[in-house]
Amino acid sequence: MTNTVIGVGGMAVGRVGDTLVTYALGSCLGLTLYDPETRVGGLLHALLPQSKINPEKARDNPAMFVNTGVPSLFLAVYELGGVKERLVVKAAGCGAPLGAGTMFNTGDRNYTVLKKILWKNNVLLDAEDVGGSKARTVTLDLTTGKVTISSGGERREL
Amino acid sequence: MKPIEKVVTAADLQMLPPISPAASKVLKLLDDPKADAVAIQRVIQYDPGLTANVLKAANSPYFGFRQETLSLRSAVVRLGSRWLHQVVVASFAKAAMEQDVPGYDLPAGELWRHAVGVSVASDRLVALLGVSVADEIFTAALLHDIGKIVLGQKVGSDVQRIEAATAAGVSFEAAERAVLGLDHAAAGACLLEAWALPQQLVDVVRWHHQPEDAERQSLVLDIVHLADVVCLMLGIGTGRDGLCYRPSTGAMKRLQLKVSDLEAVAAETPLGLEELLAGLNAA
Repeated sequence: MTNTVIGVGGMAVGRVGDTLVTYALGSCLGLTLYDPETRVGGLLHALLPQSKINPEKARDNPAMFVNTGVPSLFLAVYELGGVKERLVVKAAGCGAPLGAGTMFNTGDRNYTVLKKILWKNNVLLDAEDVGGSKARTVTLDLTTGKVTISSGGERREL
Repeated sequence: MKPIEKVVTAADLQMLPPISPAASKVLKLLDDPKADAVAIQRVIQYDPGLTANVLKAANSPYFGFRQETLSLRSAVVRLGSRWLHQVVVASFAKAAMEQDVPGYDLPAGELWRHAVGVSVASDRLVALLGVSVADEIFTAALLHDIGKIVLGQKVGSDVQRIEAATAAGVSFEAAERAVLGLDHAAAGACLLEAWALPQQLVDVVRWHHQPEDAERQSLVLDIVHLADVVCLMLGIGTGRDGLCYRPSTGAMKRLQLKVSDLEAVAAETPLGLEELLAGLNAA
C-alpha cells in the first residue's frame, strides 16, 4: 500500500490499496486510468503536447509529452492487468493564463492532442475538469477508483 | 489606494531575515566590472556563514568540480559570478522562502521551489536567446516573489475577495492591489529597497507581472517575466493564485520568441530545477 507523488513530467501505476497524486497542474495534463474489475490504474502528468520539440527527452521520459505519455500510460496499465474496454478515463488540468491567446495556449493544445489520441483509439473520456486559470491537484484512489480534484482550497470528486 | 508604507510596515520587514551587510556588498561588487575576485573574497571572509556557504557550494558535485578546494579565493573564482549570485541570495533568503505561505496556499518549500524554477528558466532563456545579460538576473529571478511572504501574512480572509475578483477575470496582482492596496510585486520591491539592493533589481521585482508598465524596458525584466510564466504554467510552486496572471505578448515580441521556444525552455526546466535545488541545498 503506497502513496505515490508524481512530479511534473512523471507517470505511475498501482493496484488496490495504492494512492496516486500529482500537485498543481497548470497547463499540464493530468490523466487517470482505472480498471474497476482488476482495480489497477495509473496517473500521468504531461507538460507539453508534442515530443517533436525534444525527441531525446521523449526517449528518456515519454511521460513529459502528451503524444508519447498517453500511450505509455495505457501500456503500463495493461501490463498490470487493466483491460482497455473497462478503463475509466478522466482528464484534468490543461489550464491557461489570462488572455493566453495563441502564444500561451499550451494547455489547450495538450487537451487537443489527448482528444485526438483517444478518438483514434476509440476511447472516450468519462469525466474531465479542464481549462480555466486554476491550479489543480489530482488524486486517484486505486481502492475505490475515486478521482479527487483540489483547487484553491476546495475539493471535489471528478 | 492605501499608501504603500501603511501596508508594508517596518515591523513586516523585521519579520524577514535581514540581509547581511556582507551579502549586500558582494551582490553590488559582483555587478561592478572593476571589482575582482580578491575584492569579493575580502568581503565574504568577514561573514562566517557566507564563507561556509561559498566553500560548500564550491565543493558541491552539482557545480561540477572534482578537486576539493579549501581556499575561499579559489572558491570564489571557481563559482564565478553566475553561481555566486545564487549562492549569496540563497544564504540570506532561502530559509524564509522555504517556510509555508498560508495566505497563498503554498506549502513549505514551494515558494523557494518556484524561485529556483524561475532562475533555471531564465538561464535557459538567456542561452536560447544567445544574449549577454548581467548575472544579477539570477538574483532578480530568485527574489521576484519574495513579497508574497509579507502579503501572505497579512491577507487573511481578504484572500476570498481577491479570489472573487480573479473569478471575474481580473489578474491576481490587480486584485491584490484592489483589495490590499498593493500587490506582492510592490511589496517585494519595498523589501529589496530596504535591503539596499541595486535599483535595476528592484525594478525587475516591481514589474515582473507588468513589464510594459516599467519606466525602463529591460531584457532582464522581459526574461524574468516569461520565465515566471513558464513556471506558473508548469505548476512549479503555484499556489492559490494559479494561472491568474496576464502574460505579456509584448515581451515575446521584443525577444522575438516563438511558442516552440517557450516550450523548449519548459521541457528543460523541471530537471534543471531538481539539479539546482540540490546544488543550493548543499551550499
